[in-house]
Amino acid sequence: MAVENYAFLIPLLPALAFVLTFFLGKKLPKGGAIIPIVAITISFVISLLITLNLLANPEEVINQSYSWFAILNIGILVDPLAAVMLTMVSLVSLLIHIYSVGYMSHDKSPSRYFAETALFTASMLGLVLSDNILQLFVCWELVGVCSYLLIGFWYEKPSAATAAKKAFLTTRVGDVMFLAGIIILFSDLFKIFNGTIPDGIYILRFDEIFAHIPDIAAMNANIFGMEVSHITLITLLFFGGAIGKSGQFPLHVWLPDAMEGPTTVSALIHAATMVTAGVYLVARTFPMFIAAPDSLMVVAYVGAFTAIFAATMGIVMNDLKRVLAYSTISQLGYMMLGLGVGAAIGAEAVGISLFHLINHAFFKALLFLCAGSVIHAVGTHDMRQLGGVAKVMPITAATMVAASLALAGIGIPGTSIGTSGFFSKDAIIENAYLFGDTTGAWIPYALSIVAALLTSLYIFRLLFMTFYGKPRTDYGGHESPGSMTVPLSILALFALFFGGLTSKTFNTFVSETFVNNFVNLNIHELASIGGYHLASHGGHHEPMLILWMPLIVALVGFLIAFLIYGLKIVNMDSLVSRNNPIYKLLYNRYYQNAIFTDFFSVKVIYEGFAFAGRAIERGFDWIVNWLSNLTLEAGESLRQFQTGVVQNYATVVITGVSLLVILIKVVMEVI
Amino acid sequence: MAPILSMIVLIPLIFAALALLTKTKEQARAIALTGTVIVLLLTVYMYFNFDSTIAANQFEELVEWVPSLGITYHLGVDGIAMPLILLNAIVLPLLVLFTWNDDRKSPNKFYALILATEGAVIGVFTALDFFLFYIFWELTLIPLFFMVSIWGGPNKHHASIKFFIYTHVASLVMLLGIFGLYFAAWDMTGTPTLDIPTLISQFQFIESGIAKDLIFLALLFGFIVKIPSFPFHSWLPDAYTEAPTAGSVLFVMLKIGGYGLFKVMLPMLPFTASPNMMISIMAVLGSVSILYGAFLALSQKDLKRMVAYSSVSHMGYVTLGAAGLVSLSVSGAMFQQFSHGLIMSVMFMSCGIINNATGTRIINDLGGLAQKMPKLAVIMVLIFMASLGLPGLSGFIAEVSVLAGSFVNLPVYVMIALLAIVITAAYHLWALQRAMFGVYNERLGTVTDISTYQTFSMGVIAILVLYFGLNPSPVLDMMLTNSEHIISLMAAMGV
Repeated sequence: MAVENYAFLIPLLPALAFVLTFFLGKKLPKGGAIIPIVAITISFVISLLITLNLLANPEEVINQSYSWFAILNIGILVDPLAAVMLTMVSLVSLLIHIYSVGYMSHDKSPSRYFAETALFTASMLGLVLSDNILQLFVCWELVGVCSYLLIGFWYEKPSAATAAKKAFLTTRVGDVMFLAGIIILFSDLFKIFNGTIPDGIYILRFDEIFAHIPDIAAMNANIFGMEVSHITLITLLFFGGAIGKSGQFPLHVWLPDAMEGPTTVSALIHAATMVTAGVYLVARTFPMFIAAPDSLMVVAYVGAFTAIFAATMGIVMNDLKRVLAYSTISQLGYMMLGLGVGAAIGAEAVGISLFHLINHAFFKALLFLCAGSVIHAVGTHDMRQLGGVAKVMPITAATMVAASLALAGIGIPGTSIGTSGFFSKDAIIENAYLFGDTTGAWIPYALSIVAALLTSLYIFRLLFMTFYGKPRTDYGGHESPGSMTVPLSILALFALFFGGLTSKTFNTFVSETFVNNFVNLNIHELASIGGYHLASHGGHHEPMLILWMPLIVALVGFLIAFLIYGLKIVNMDSLVSRNNPIYKLLYNRYYQNAIFTDFFSVKVIYEGFAFAGRAIERGFDWIVNWLSNLTLEAGESLRQFQTGVVQNYATVVITGVSLLVILIKVVMEVI
Repeated sequence: MAPILSMIVLIPLIFAALALLTKTKEQARAIALTGTVIVLLLTVYMYFNFDSTIAANQFEELVEWVPSLGITYHLGVDGIAMPLILLNAIVLPLLVLFTWNDDRKSPNKFYALILATEGAVIGVFTALDFFLFYIFWELTLIPLFFMVSIWGGPNKHHASIKFFIYTHVASLVMLLGIFGLYFAAWDMTGTPTLDIPTLISQFQFIESGIAKDLIFLALLFGFIVKIPSFPFHSWLPDAYTEAPTAGSVLFVMLKIGGYGLFKVMLPMLPFTASPNMMISIMAVLGSVSILYGAFLALSQKDLKRMVAYSSVSHMGYVTLGAAGLVSLSVSGAMFQQFSHGLIMSVMFMSCGIINNATGTRIINDLGGLAQKMPKLAVIMVLIFMASLGLPGLSGFIAEVSVLAGSFVNLPVYVMIALLAIVITAAYHLWALQRAMFGVYNERLGTVTDISTYQTFSMGVIAILVLYFGLNPSPVLDMMLTNSEHIISLMAAMGV
């Protein structure tokens, strides 16, 4: 029994669990939670076994393709990139499901919850497994709709229904760009094949796409007078999709609102199943990006900017979950930056970025689940009302500290001592330095360093405000049950040690994703199409200060947080006031809601365009009515028309037909 | 072999006459169900004996009728017609079940009209002679007209007359086109014929370029209005909205405009004097319909009217895909007809249920219905997702095929259509959020969830939407065969 043959079960079992839980869950205890838990456990075991096999033999990837419809296919592809994602997604999702049993125990429809989270997981696993871009898009959309359903889980709350809609529509803007990219790609490949695709060739499968990168790069489009290579166009459109899904500026606005759902859903969205999809898309199509002039630069800049932009908002939020939401956006920016630095280091960027993605998944899931544990116990997520929670909930507090250390990236450079986030985030920052060194673009590096300081500041601020000191209100509370604290502890172990244990193997393993029996790409050749000059291997020797820099800024961030929120030496009231314009700007989140939602969506699209349409429509109606009234009144035929006498119809029809025949004859003679 | 096509056309008409004679609701609905189920069984039998690998007409029946005028009784189905017949055969019995417990005046007429529409529509899909084609084409108008004018909403008279006159004028223009083709071919060959395949094949030999273009445009106008496409759509919102639920579903089943596009227009297209102009006309109409319909749907306050406009938007894909002239886009457009029929039936059923339960369809007056009607909520969420093009459901297959296929030849028009996708998602979710989610609007009084019959009919269609979204091949393969045939003819002509 070769485990490879069961790879298709990885997404299929959770999908099946969705159906079973949806229809049978109500009759089972705990909303039938056992069904998805068993299904995802099996998915996890299969994923893990496949990953271990692949580790021994990274060139023997799994690929099975079947015809779907027309010239498109469905299939699975498990290469190193997919394998690590599958393992992480199934593991994190499994832990969140176990945790949810306790968390959702008081909810009135747990079966719907578990059905939807199972489908959410299935869609994400399907996305990761896709061997072609269309199937990836299909699962991508399913992920989107599951997030819609889950953010709006408490649909009777208007704010939840609104947040769900906002999430779906905002990501939909990105999805349309992604779809446009696929459509252009399809039409390019269709032309490359001259419209006749041989049997057995699926043109949207990744191997076909990658094999034709040089041809696509040779095609040019003229957009507003600029010559743009099709490969740049397509990759930027793909990146547009990734911006929406992975909450990058400017389509990040949905993510902070997405916490209207249960906290466990936030954990799923932020760690395992949704926001990582965009990063994964760029990683998956990395050979296209590296062959596309300018695309990787855009990725690097947007990523770095998002990292700092979101972090600035993270430091002023008072809502526990909102701080974490901005933290996710910021960390996703780092992952994008990690991919963008591929312009300097080639395919290694995929390994670096994915490493942070996986580590982030562990500590961010942990952060959200800890937050959920606190909210579950004390009933509020306003940090101003908390404080001293550590005394009531020691396990939760300890795991939260572990997660925060990982997020802040605490560790000693040059050794293998450090939290998971240290290994992955520092790698990204160091390579951003290399990226600046190679390309001359230093801004991403500068932004990433400042963002690291802010990261440390906001997370320790959160820790001090929530867990440290004396309770600011009488919230009561108690430690959460074992079904919740055990997943927390497991995740804490991963947050602390996963990075240190795997950092070397992980990067080499994942970076070799594009050399195997499915695709065999020469990244250097592709990079030369894109006009990138890769730094030579092994030659990275950053100055000592660069290596220590991330740790230094992290400690500075900690110190500031400690002085303000721990020792309370600095009085916050002078800073946190409506009169401080910077605070006001940050607290109002740069007025994005006013700009995007209130002005653009409502005023321009809804009130403007839609009402213009209605005016035009009235015009059409008026013309039609005028024409018909004219005819009807002229002949007074309306009355006869309504008599319903068959002879009248017959007479009209016969006369009409005769007239038509005569008319046609005359016209034919003239022509 | 039994004349199966004659049977599926005549059985509904015969049962319509029988239903008219009944006295009670119970008798009428029993007759209607029997008739539609027989058609369904025959159609399923036909489907399984249909060869989807050939583009030719199958199950042909040919009888001389009026030789002096070239009129024959000629029936047949190909891969364009078969799925549409299947669509009607599946939805109609479910529609009868959906209305099973409704109380309304003159149920005998009501069910007779449903059956008559089914016979007439299937007649259009099977007719291979323009005489028959036109008779059935016009025959579809009459039951729908009465459907709206008898059981329609407050504005029913205006809506029914507008619909009748508007589409009747279009039919007459189409008839002009048919006559033009008929006489031109008669002049050329010396023998009259109204046989559709023969006339289409003789179209290319007409010498006058102007005549060819006029014939093409006249036929195109007839079909475009029926689809309907911008700017000839304004009969639709009124008719669809004022019609009773069953009437709206019957309107949705009326896929004869798009059918004409594939069956008659595309094979003639390469032989017109200015094929590129014709392609541009269709592409503009299609892409503008998609975008314009979406914006109009966004601005509607009445749920049913919103669905009606979304129909205009979705049918734009049919016109655009036909103009795309790549087998993927053409088959996608055909599939859109099939998929749209399924999805819109449930959309209109949902509107009808909400109207009956609450007495209003104004979206802002609703609210929180999901709490009182959980079964309806599940079906509605699924079908709204299908309508906004969610992958895994049938609408996506059609839309992505049309968009990807058409982009090869018509990139700009596809970009216009793409703009509509977010708007489409917006009005669907906006409506769901305000009507179904949020706090329950207590002013609506007590409402009860959908009945077992309604759950069954909507549920079956919803499952089909899911099934064909995952596995479109059972109907898409035959569409592909026919599209490839059409495209290969064009390639041979160098278009």
